[in-house]
Amino acid sequence: MFRRLLVANRGEVAVRVARAARALGISPVGVVSTADRGAAWTRHFDDIVCLGPPAPRDSYLRAEAIVQAARQTGCAAVHPGWGFLAENPRFAALCAQHGLTFVGPRPEVMERMGLKWPAKAAMRAAGLAGIPGSEGLLADVDEAARVALEVGYPVIVKADAGGGGRGMRRCADEAALREGFPAASAEALAAFGSGAMYLEGYLVGGRHIELQLLADAFGNAVHLGERECSIQRNHQKLIEESPSPALTEAQRNEVGERAAAAAAAIGYTGAGTIEFLRHPADGRLCFMEMNTRLQVEHPVTELVTGIDIVREQLRIAAHHPLSITQADVVLRGHSIECRINAEDPFDHFRPAPGTLAAFEVPTDLGPGAVRIDTHVEAGDKIPPFYDSLIAKVLVHAETREAAIETMLRTLRAARIEGVPTTIPLHLAVLASPEFRRGEYDTRAIPGWPPAAAAHSAKS
Amino acid sequence: MAHVPLTPIGRPRDGFLDSGTFQKNRAAMAAREATLAERRAAVAAGWGEKYAERVRAKQKLTARERLDALIDPGTRAFEVGTFVNHGLKFGELESPAAGVVTAFARVCGRWTMVIANDNTVASGSWWPKTPEKIERAQEMALRLRLPVIYLVDCSGLFLPEQSRSFPGATGAGHIFKKNADLSAAGVPQIAGVFGDCIAGGGYMPIISDRVYMTEQAYMVIAGAALIKGAKSQKLSSLDIGGPEVHVHQSGCADVRVPDDQTALRFIRDEVARIGTPAADYYRGGVAAAAPFQPADELDGLFPADHRMTYDADEVVARLVDRSLFWELLPDRGREMIVGVGRVNGLYMGFVMNRQGVIDDPEHHGAKKPAGILYREGIAKVAAFSRACNDDGIPIVWLQDISGFDIGVEAERLGLLGYGSSLIYTNSTNSVPMFTVLLRKASGAGYYAMAGLPYEPVVQLSTPITRQSVMEGRTLAIAAFNTKLDDDFEIAVSDPDERAKIEAGMRSTEARIERDMDPYQSASQMDTDEIVRFGELREWLQLFAEASYQSIGYRRVKNPRIWSLHDLAALTEARG
Repeated sequence: MFRRLLVANRGEVAVRVARAARALGISPVGVVSTADRGAAWTRHFDDIVCLGPPAPRDSYLRAEAIVQAARQTGCAAVHPGWGFLAENPRFAALCAQHGLTFVGPRPEVMERMGLKWPAKAAMRAAGLAGIPGSEGLLADVDEAARVALEVGYPVIVKADAGGGGRGMRRCADEAALREGFPAASAEALAAFGSGAMYLEGYLVGGRHIELQLLADAFGNAVHLGERECSIQRNHQKLIEESPSPALTEAQRNEVGERAAAAAAAIGYTGAGTIEFLRHPADGRLCFMEMNTRLQVEHPVTELVTGIDIVREQLRIAAHHPLSITQADVVLRGHSIECRINAEDPFDHFRPAPGTLAAFEVPTDLGPGAVRIDTHVEAGDKIPPFYDSLIAKVLVHAETREAAIETMLRTLRAARIEGVPTTIPLHLAVLASPEFRRGEYDTRAIPGWPPAAAAHSAKS
Repeated sequence: MAHVPLTPIGRPRDGFLDSGTFQKNRAAMAAREATLAERRAAVAAGWGEKYAERVRAKQKLTARERLDALIDPGTRAFEVGTFVNHGLKFGELESPAAGVVTAFARVCGRWTMVIANDNTVASGSWWPKTPEKIERAQEMALRLRLPVIYLVDCSGLFLPEQSRSFPGATGAGHIFKKNADLSAAGVPQIAGVFGDCIAGGGYMPIISDRVYMTEQAYMVIAGAALIKGAKSQKLSSLDIGGPEVHVHQSGCADVRVPDDQTALRFIRDEVARIGTPAADYYRGGVAAAAPFQPADELDGLFPADHRMTYDADEVVARLVDRSLFWELLPDRGREMIVGVGRVNGLYMGFVMNRQGVIDDPEHHGAKKPAGILYREGIAKVAAFSRACNDDGIPIVWLQDISGFDIGVEAERLGLLGYGSSLIYTNSTNSVPMFTVLLRKASGAGYYAMAGLPYEPVVQLSTPITRQSVMEGRTLAIAAFNTKLDDDFEIAVSDPDERAKIEAGMRSTEARIERDMDPYQSASQMDTDEIVRFGELREWLQLFAEASYQSIGYRRVKNPRIWSLHDLAALTEARG
C-alpha cells in the first residue's frame, strides 16, 4: 500500500480522505490556498503545502503545482476528492506521467465518460437504457424536429461537449426548437469549441436516482445499491437517501448488475456513480451520465452497506483486487444525508461566509445512529471562495421512519451559530407529508418554501 | 517442383524390432529415466521444504510456483540448465539449478523465456555459473526473439565465491550487457520484482521495458546493511528502494502491485499485448498433427548397449508430423539422412546419422560402418545446411556420431577441407539450429553436426548421451600408443609392465566413461538440458513454434522458392 498520499482538495472531502488514508496506514499530505492556511481541517495532515492565493484557479486547480507538491513531499499517489480536478483527465495523465498514482479511473475512461454522447453509447452498448431521444448527434435542426416529433414535446437539446447548463435548451414545441437549437449550438461552439448537439425527451416529474459502483483493475465490478437524490435546488442536491423509496429490489438488482457490467466493459476502475432519471410514466431508469469520482453523498451508501468507499478507492488504486463480491453487498436499514450549507435559505440561499460562533451537532439522540462528516469546528472562519458546505449530517436506522425521526431530533438539537445554515429547510422537508410518504421528484422541494408546506399539509 | 514432396516414412515397430528387444531397451531406458526424474525432483526442491516454508511465511511464492502461475494453464515449462552445478559443493553448500530457473514457457499463447531466481536457494543469490546460466537463457531468447520475463528475487552474489562469478567476461555484469543486447534487438523484456533485489538483482530488471514491483520488493545498489546510519535511522532496504521510491519517485519501476499473484497476472497481460505469434501464419493452413508412428516408442528403439545399432529412419518417422518426410539426396552420402518434415505444422530441416553398415561410397560393392562421416555425407550435410539457411528452415541436428572417417584415404580425399566447409557453413548460418545428442557425440563429428561450440540455439542430451572427444577405449589406445602394436595389443612382454599398462588403460577408460556422463556435461554447461526420449517430440514442437513466432527478424521463404528444390532438381535421376 502507498505510504504517503497527497489529497488534492480542501475542507470536508480532504478530511474524509485523510481519515481513510490513516486507517490504511498511509500518511496524508494536504494542500491549501492562502485562505485555508491554518484552518482546523489542516490538522488532519502530516504535511501541508501551500499552493497559492485563494481563488481556485490560483491554488486548488493548479495541476502542476499539485504534482510538484506531491513530488517534493515524497507522495506515491494523489486523491483528487470531488470537484476541482477530480474529473480532469489531463490532470490524471499528468499525475501518471510523474509517477503518481491518480486515485480514480484511467484518463481515457474519464474522458470518454466526460463526453455525453460517447458515454451514452457505451452505456447503451452495455444494456442500459437512455432517455428516449436521438440515436446520436444531430445533423441539423430539421433532424432535431423529426426526432422531437417521435419522442414527443417537451424536449431538451444538449451540446455534446456542454456542461453547467450552457448549450442546453428546453423546447416546449417545434417553434421553440427551431429557435433554441441554433442558439444553443452557437453557444456551445463558442464555449466548448464544438456545436454538436443531441436531443432527448424532457421528462417532467422524474426522480434522480444514482448507483454507486466499485471496479478494480481486474475486471471485477460491483454495485452498492442506489441513492435517491431528487431533493434538489437548482441541480444542487440537498438531501439524499438510500434505499430509494421508489425502487423495487428486483429493479435495483437488474439495473445494478447492468451498471456494474457496463463499468467493467468500459474498463472503469475505482469508485464511480451512474446517474439515472426515473421515468415518471413507467418507472424505468434512464441513463443520464456517469460521474467518474467520489460523490459528496457517498456516506449514504457506506451506512447501508458497511463498506468504506474511500478505503476501497485507495486499495483499488494500489492494484488490490476488490475485497468484496456482489453477494457480499447487503443493504441494511435506511440512511439519510442532509447537506448543511452556510447559506441563508430565507434569502435565496445566499452563501453566507463568516465565523462559526458555535458548532454542536448531537450524535446520541436516537433512535438511529448519527454520523457527522465535517471539517469545521466552533471558531472557524468559512471563507467566501469555496463551496458553502460545512457539514453532512447522516443518520442510519432500521427503517426509513426511524431514520427521519433521528434526523429531525438531531437537527432540531443542533446548535450552529455565526452563519445561517440550511437546517430550517431540512427540517421542513423532513416534516413534510410528501417526503414522509416518499412521494417526491425533482420538480419541487417538498415542504419548501414553508408556506407551500403549510398548504400541502392541509390538503 | 514447388510442392514439398513429403512421403510416408517408417514402419510399425514390430516390422523392424521384435517385442522382446523393444521391451528390454525400454526397461533399460526406464531405469535411466527414473534417475533423471529423481534428480530433476531434487533440483526442483531447491534447498528443501524448510526454505520453501520460509518463502511462504512471507506470503510469497517460490520461484517454481511463480513459474506455474505465470504460464498458460495446462501447459508445461521447458527448463534449460536444470543440472548446472549438479554435484558441486561450495564449502558445505550446494546450489541446485545454480539458484535460478530458466525455462521456455508459454504465456498467453506466446513462447517466452522465463528467468526466475530460486528464492529457496540462498535467497536467490548468484553462484559461480549462475550468471552464465542466465546469459545462456538470454542468448536463446535473443536468437529467437522471444520475450524475456524476469521474475527477480535475488539477494546478490553469493559472496564467498564472488571471485568466480563477479569479474570475468561472463561474470554477473554480462547479464546486464545481455539485457542491453536484447533491448537493442527489439526483444520485449518484462520484469517482476518480488523481493530482495540487491546490487546485480537490482540492475537486472532496469533495462526491461516494463517493471512491476510487489509491496515486498525493493531494488537497491546496496542494501541497508551497507548504508551508514541506516541502523540509527531505522531505515530498511524497503524504505531505501521499495515501490514507494522506485515506482513513484525514481521511475526505475513502472507499476506497484500488492503481491506475487497480482504481479504475475499483470505480466501475463503485458505479454498478451506483444504481437500475435506468427507460427499459425507460417503453417499455411496446415494443422499440427502427431507422428503417424508413435513418438512414445522412441525410448524402446535405442539399444541399452551403446555399441549396438538401430534404424535411424524410424527415429525421424517418430518425430515429424504424420510421419511424412522429404529426404533429399537419399542415394548419396548414405551415412547421413537430410530432409524436411513438419513439426506442429511448421517446416523443419533434419540431419541425422544412419547407424549400422552402409555401402562404401568410394569403393563399389564394399561396406563401411555408418555413424561416421565420409566425404559425400559431409558434402551433403553442408549443402543441406546452406540451403536451409538460405530458405529460413530451422535445422534439427540429431547426433549419434563417432567422428570423421580417418586414415590415408580420408586425408587424401581432403576430409579436413570438407569438414571445415561444413563447419564454416554452420558457423555462419543465421537460421535457428537445434542440436540433440541422441547418443554418441564424439570428436569432430560433434563439432561438424552443430554441437554446442557452434552455437545452436539449444543443445539437448538424453540419458544415454556420451559426449567426448573419443570413446574411452580409443582414448586409452591413443594415450598408450607407444606401448601398443599395430592391432592395438600391448607390445610388452614383461608381465609386471604389462599389468601396469593394462591397469593404466583401464583407468583411463573409466575416467573417460565418467566424464561422458550427461549429468557431468550438464553440470559444466556443456549441454543445455537432459531430456527423456518420450519428451523429445514436445521439445521439437517448442523449437518449431518458437522459431516461427516472431516476424521480420529472419528470412522465411515460402516453399515454392526454396533452394532445396534446386538441390533436388540437379541430383534427381534423368528420366
